[in-house]
Amino acid sequence: MAGLVSSRGCHKIRGSQIRELLDSKLNVLFDCDGVIWNGETVVAGAPEVVTLLKQQGKKVFFITNNCTRPRASYVTKFIRLGFTDVAEEEIFSSAYCSAAYLRDVAKLQGKVYVIGCQGVVKELREAGVPIVEEDTDAPTGTIYDYPLDPDVKAVLVGYDEKFDFIKLAKACCYLQNTECLFLATDPDPWHPLRGGRITPGSGSLTAAVETASSRKATVIGKPSCFMFECIASQFNLDPGQSLMVGDRLETDILFGANCGLDTMLTLTGVSTLEEAHGYKDSDDPERKDFVPDYVVETIADFIEAYEEEEG
Amino acid sequence: MAVSKCTRLNGPLIKQMLDSVDSVLFDCDGVIWRGDQAIPGAPDVINLLKKNGKNVFFVTNNSTKTRKMYADKLALMGFNATEDEVFGTAYCSAMYLKNVSRLQGKVYLIGSNAMRQELEKVGIQQTGVGPDPISGVQIDWANVPLDPEVKAVVVGFDEHFSYMKLNRALQYLNNPDCLLVGTNTDTRLPLEGGKAVPGTGCILKAVETAAQRQAQTVGKPNHFMYDCVASQFSLDRTRCLMVGDRLDTDILLGSNCGLKTLLTLTGVSTVADAEAHQESGCPKRLGMVPDYYVESIAELLPALQG
Repeated sequence: MAGLVSSRGCHKIRGSQIRELLDSKLNVLFDCDGVIWNGETVVAGAPEVVTLLKQQGKKVFFITNNCTRPRASYVTKFIRLGFTDVAEEEIFSSAYCSAAYLRDVAKLQGKVYVIGCQGVVKELREAGVPIVEEDTDAPTGTIYDYPLDPDVKAVLVGYDEKFDFIKLAKACCYLQNTECLFLATDPDPWHPLRGGRITPGSGSLTAAVETASSRKATVIGKPSCFMFECIASQFNLDPGQSLMVGDRLETDILFGANCGLDTMLTLTGVSTLEEAHGYKDSDDPERKDFVPDYVVETIADFIEAYEEEEG
Repeated sequence: MAVSKCTRLNGPLIKQMLDSVDSVLFDCDGVIWRGDQAIPGAPDVINLLKKNGKNVFFVTNNSTKTRKMYADKLALMGFNATEDEVFGTAYCSAMYLKNVSRLQGKVYLIGSNAMRQELEKVGIQQTGVGPDPISGVQIDWANVPLDPEVKAVVVGFDEHFSYMKLNRALQYLNNPDCLLVGTNTDTRLPLEGGKAVPGTGCILKAVETAAQRQAQTVGKPNHFMYDCVASQFSLDRTRCLMVGDRLDTDILLGSNCGLKTLLTLTGVSTVADAEAHQESGCPKRLGMVPDYYVESIAELLPALQG
């Protein structure tokens, strides 16, 4: 029942259809916000779904653009929200993957100038990547005159509630050197909180730095493939046997398409069925990759899929 | 509209060109001054143009000064200029909000004190100017108290730009009826002393990205700044010359408004840039090809003195 890559079907599925799909997959990758939880509220049934999939012998991973927590803090959140068997190694955040990229792919020799919250900084420290961190509580310099570190070989931009003009100016200066890498944790323009509230996302800060430096950032997070490559390199995943489950067509579903995975949209988050059909009906060939193979109301429908079989 | 030819202006062509115009609009940074240094000869050019009966205006995307501050700077450097000849984006944004948007309400301002002053002069109250440090947690930021009288978010150059300001702007812009107006999209802002820092364009891009919508921009190359000058002084656009150093703002404004255009090479753009636009054949780029160019506006002096 796997959808063809060239004609993603946007099929709404339930019951035995879900069972058939899951039986054909070894690995299930879940986005977090809008899929398994919304802010501090768990999506009903999500913990049971994870346990069920693991009982069926599937590998389960959590892949999130949200870079505001280090992995250890995600583990605490999982436990707090009722998930009993999620291990740190199964969690891939854009902060963790950015650190992994700098250490393992770029093999950075030098320091990273970080525009990022503690969630980003902690992952870099854990990965052993040397950083130059702006201490906004004790700023050195003004917008007219500020010190630069000669060892900076990369600039990383992520969600940063302490973003200010000096950071923008410094990042722009570092990026005048064409050898200096330019990375962004994720492209999300806004960051969802509970109750439909939003705050500015990493993408908006990256846009400012891109405009200032006239350079484009290499984006680690979805829809770029790097996060999948990061998981695949640690766990030997076959894209053909993997399913991506997400709530945002422009990040999760496009990510799945980019990496050669089957994709499933769940309707407990940002994107709607109407939007998915809108992309399906579009004449623009590039929009086809935003169309999910499958759609479910909620991942809790997986539970019913297994119960039906047994019943 | 004159066919843009990118002709080197020299010899008798200078006097011929000057005789064909009554009004000259000058960009400032990179044209008549660099930072706080006048381009050599520039004050004489402006003063002689006026002596010869030409109208002279100063049209700048820089939003950090009021008209009065610009007039003071001009006077200090020896330019014979008055406040009403100056059109900066702080002033023009206030005029835009008052006369085009017809704003009834307040502004959430990401911008300078100069912008605040120009807004207040036209009777528009603002909130937000100055430093805005962050505190609390994420959900607090999403729930910042909003002033119900705010009907527009206005973005100009702001050295105090911060995540919290970006956040407040986003919360106001969640209301689709709230306007989003930017002073300009320049990516660099020249400072006194010759340095440059990221420009308003970067701040505006952050706001546009977070709010997922495009701002209405007031500054060059948008025709509003020319309209602003023309609404206060009777101008014949066929007898107007726009002098600038940037092809994508000054020259494009001139082209958009049907003015003659003169590129000076004391600033950002080069002749090679202009020729590349000309050779591209792309209609959108042809507006960035100037009619004429000079190394510096000082080259106009002999014709003015003679």
